[in-house]
Amino acid sequence: MVIDTEKIEEPKSPEKPQEIPADWQANILAFACHYCAFAAADLAGVMRLKYPPNVKVVRLPCTGKLDHIYILRAFERGIDGVFAAG
Amino acid sequence: MTGEFGANLMEDRGVTRITPRQESNERIGSVLVVGSGIGGMQASLDLANSGLLVHMINDEPSIGGTMSRLDKTFPTGDCAMCMISPRMVESSRHPNIKMHTMSRVVSVTGVEGNFTVTLEQKARYVDPERCTGCGACEPECPTKVSNFFNQGLDKRKAIYALFPQAVPNTRAIDPAHCLYLTKQVCRKCEKVCDAKAINFEDRDKQFEVKVGSIVLTPGLKTYQPEIRQELGYGRLKNVVTSLQFERLLSASGPCSGVVTRPSDGKHPKRLAWVQCVGSRNAHNANPWCSSVCCMYAAKQSIIAKEHDKEVQPTIFYMELRAFGKDFDKYIDKAKRDAGVIYKRAMISEIVEDPQTKNLLVHSVGEDGKMVHEEFDMVILSIGFEPRSDAAEFSKIFGIDTDTYGFAKTSKLRPVETSKRGIYVAGTYQGPKDIPETVIQGSGAAAGAMALLGDRRGTEVTKVVLPDEKDVTADEARVGVIVCHCGTNIAGTVDVKRVAEAALKQPGVAHAETIIYACAPDGQKKIRDLIADKNLNRIVVASCTPRTHSPLFQDTIREVGLNKFLFELADIREQCSWCHMHDNENATKKAIEIVNMMVAKTKRLLPVTSASVGVTHNALIVGGGIAGMTSALSLSEQGYGVHLVERADSLGGLLNNVRANLEGDDVQAFLAETKRKVEEDPAITVHLGATVDKVDGFVGNFVTTLTSGQSVNHGALIVATGGSEYAPVEYGYNESEKVITQRELEHMLSEKGPENNKCYVMIQCIGSREEPNNYCSRICCQDALKNSIAIKEKAPDAQVVVLYRDMRSYGLKEDYYRKARDLGVLFFLYTPDDKPRVEPAGDKIKVTFAGKVLNREMAVDADYVVLSTGLRPQPDGDEFAKKFKLTCNIDGFLLEAHVKLRPVDFPSEGFFLAGLAHAPKNLEETIGQAQAAAGRAGALLSHESLTVSGVISKHNRDICMSCLACVKKCPFGAPFIDEDGKVSHNEVKCTGCGICAATCPAKAYQVNYFRDDQLLAMIDSATAMNDEL
Repeated sequence: MVIDTEKIEEPKSPEKPQEIPADWQANILAFACHYCAFAAADLAGVMRLKYPPNVKVVRLPCTGKLDHIYILRAFERGIDGVFAAG
Repeated sequence: MTGEFGANLMEDRGVTRITPRQESNERIGSVLVVGSGIGGMQASLDLANSGLLVHMINDEPSIGGTMSRLDKTFPTGDCAMCMISPRMVESSRHPNIKMHTMSRVVSVTGVEGNFTVTLEQKARYVDPERCTGCGACEPECPTKVSNFFNQGLDKRKAIYALFPQAVPNTRAIDPAHCLYLTKQVCRKCEKVCDAKAINFEDRDKQFEVKVGSIVLTPGLKTYQPEIRQELGYGRLKNVVTSLQFERLLSASGPCSGVVTRPSDGKHPKRLAWVQCVGSRNAHNANPWCSSVCCMYAAKQSIIAKEHDKEVQPTIFYMELRAFGKDFDKYIDKAKRDAGVIYKRAMISEIVEDPQTKNLLVHSVGEDGKMVHEEFDMVILSIGFEPRSDAAEFSKIFGIDTDTYGFAKTSKLRPVETSKRGIYVAGTYQGPKDIPETVIQGSGAAAGAMALLGDRRGTEVTKVVLPDEKDVTADEARVGVIVCHCGTNIAGTVDVKRVAEAALKQPGVAHAETIIYACAPDGQKKIRDLIADKNLNRIVVASCTPRTHSPLFQDTIREVGLNKFLFELADIREQCSWCHMHDNENATKKAIEIVNMMVAKTKRLLPVTSASVGVTHNALIVGGGIAGMTSALSLSEQGYGVHLVERADSLGGLLNNVRANLEGDDVQAFLAETKRKVEEDPAITVHLGATVDKVDGFVGNFVTTLTSGQSVNHGALIVATGGSEYAPVEYGYNESEKVITQRELEHMLSEKGPENNKCYVMIQCIGSREEPNNYCSRICCQDALKNSIAIKEKAPDAQVVVLYRDMRSYGLKEDYYRKARDLGVLFFLYTPDDKPRVEPAGDKIKVTFAGKVLNREMAVDADYVVLSTGLRPQPDGDEFAKKFKLTCNIDGFLLEAHVKLRPVDFPSEGFFLAGLAHAPKNLEETIGQAQAAAGRAGALLSHESLTVSGVISKHNRDICMSCLACVKKCPFGAPFIDEDGKVSHNEVKCTGCGICAATCPAKAYQVNYFRDDQLLAMIDSATAMNDEL
């Protein structure tokens, strides 16, 4: 079977892609396990490692506590990225 | 029996149990633990948890010992610091542990039960009461000193913390290098310290402590490879020790985990490890095997490969001693995944290329010819030795040592020193790895607990707290305290702006800044604010909750607020320290973090911890030497024991053993142990019975035996043992001249060895090959024991041992050397070219490949002796299922944590000892049995067990019993109740919240991490904040 490459298009999105402003910063939320990833974030500080300040951490007792609703709520309210670590 | 020991005194919460029978007022209910590495911490925590007061001392500014210097650990690749750090924090915060760092013992007087110990504590020049650990002093210090912790690979300051995660987090000043203490100039650290913690007037001081018992865990010294000039250490830059390489691999090490070589900072690709540096060399180093180097070399090569895919590791070794649980599999992984090339060769010399600084390693290849191989870097696998002060140390405590300076112990009493009341654990008793050290730590603690059982609770102080205020009905009045942490936070974050922003948040009644929230005056301020401003919830914005939450929780509890009406906003580790010089953005982020915490905190509810009573006796399954040893130890500690053995008599596999490698009379010891068990009124022996069903939970198990009897118990020790492999190889079933080592042992003790006879031993029968691809650990020792027994009595007998690797680890190396000196011949064979055994008249002809001569060799043997391995119990799987335990691939029971919880099961209240865990010899079995008794004893000492407050709460009204939680919970807390619906056992819950995330009905909420609290944080993090 021959595929007509010209007929394949990008799926149409209801949202129009917008120009990204030059000074735009992503708002990122991290969900971190108290025992490992949160400890790693602390160690990064102790070692004075640098990373962009646009990420904030929500401490969980275990990454197993990460509920779908947390991620959905974050995106629903306009978060740009979610980082789960544990 | 159950009635006597099963007293269930719920109302005596927190009071430790005073044992009847042992009545002596002269004994002191405290213990000195000398050394605070992983072994010392284990002993201290077990003792402290059993209600004894512990004085834990060490000579460095931080606790942690050798393990804190390691990057990862074998055979799981776990991060060492991630494992040891919580233990360090736990040790430092335990109300029954008094930590004395930078201290040593000067003298000891007194006897078992009542020692007076004089300690000398070095001046720290930093007041631990005032120092907040902020570290502002370090950058100001102008003096750089070689960093001892990082093995001299980088520099530290004269005022320093031993390592980033140091406990206590108090800096120390090095008096040998401080400019003020040496030349009376500088004092820069003093000027920058807002906490006024620097004290140049500090002096060394001596003080006395009175203790009932002493546990020695001083640890080890590593071999100094400069002595071996041919290896070039100290002369050739790219030759490093294994401990230096450990620091190079470490993310918190001198090159942040990106391995670089010392000569030019390039990433080395061709790495060589040289094994046995300073070990197994009676002529110009230490004669013993250091036990851990084979495994850590494999680990380092795997980790180096993980760091950089282009790394090509080569390990030059004499013998691969992967004798522990799952160790051989780890070596296989090194070969398979990391592509490690193993070369059996001794290194004659290492030469440097003067241009490239690459290294030429000279060795003899398998064909006997010289080989020169080029490497970018060479790592010397250095061994252990007793500390340089070991001789003086033994004199201070009045204990005997062996000829090498290790503490002398009997193989039948592995943690008892020659002096009563003084116990030893860890590498001071002989080379060993982390789990073996932890096991001995618990074993030594069990010894002290048995000695001081009646003194529990006499030296510890009980804290009296005011009643908690009920704030549930009150509107939230959150107080926000933003910490400057000197300049640590305030230097980057505008703390005033953070406090002002917090004050605008709904629910916040008060906000202010404070120089050091954690300093004593800072905590007083917080207590005063709660009273003055009528606050009912507190947010402190400062450092990490991982180390500081407990401190502030105690502070607010002291004025009647529930501990869980508190949160810490981490604006130091996770903000100011990572965004230095980006003050505006760091301030914005700090405001957001604080606002998120305020959003959570105003929804916080008080959390109460429930408690359950404890039945003060144990059930031990298995009446072999492990079970009997545990039973006797628990009885000495003052608890009742039910010992269940399915055979008709006690003793297990040891009934078949006559002597150990060291020559102890095992049968006499066994008979004595059986007699003690049978005569002990606190031990009930159930012969011919096994466990039918276990119900209940930690502290309150109810077990039904196959005899129909029901037993109540608080702890359970599984000591179900293993079995000996019955061989089919090499014509064992066809010829009476083909026998096992055990049969040879009986023959030798009954009729003795015969001169002019030839005994050929073949190692690894039924071990280290699929389907039983693990080392049985004891067979090399068995072969050496019988070889020596033959040659000592019949020097003209010929003994030939055909081996794959002689695994005479640790101090057992002496016996390997002794056997060689006596004329026992050792020949290597490989599994792809096994010896051939065939009858030849009245002899047996054994043919094998002679590796050195490169030609086939044949021996006419009178006896072929098969070194057969150990197996798990044949019905082990079925047994494991009954107890909801898991087995490893070989069928041995899996412990809670391979490194740090080697005698615990993941299920609380279950402990493990002996061959059921893995193959091990008699000494190791006894040690593990004592450790299990120590762990169980610490548990049984409590009148009641407090259940953690941060647990999942189950709402039965909305639960649909879909069983999602029952399937997912790793701890078996949710269960199907009698009414067919799901119930939740909070005693088993650890608060991980997997059930809450899984439950489609949202019938679970985790205390302190409730959905509404976390969603409020998310909403806050996504709020449009115009002020930012």
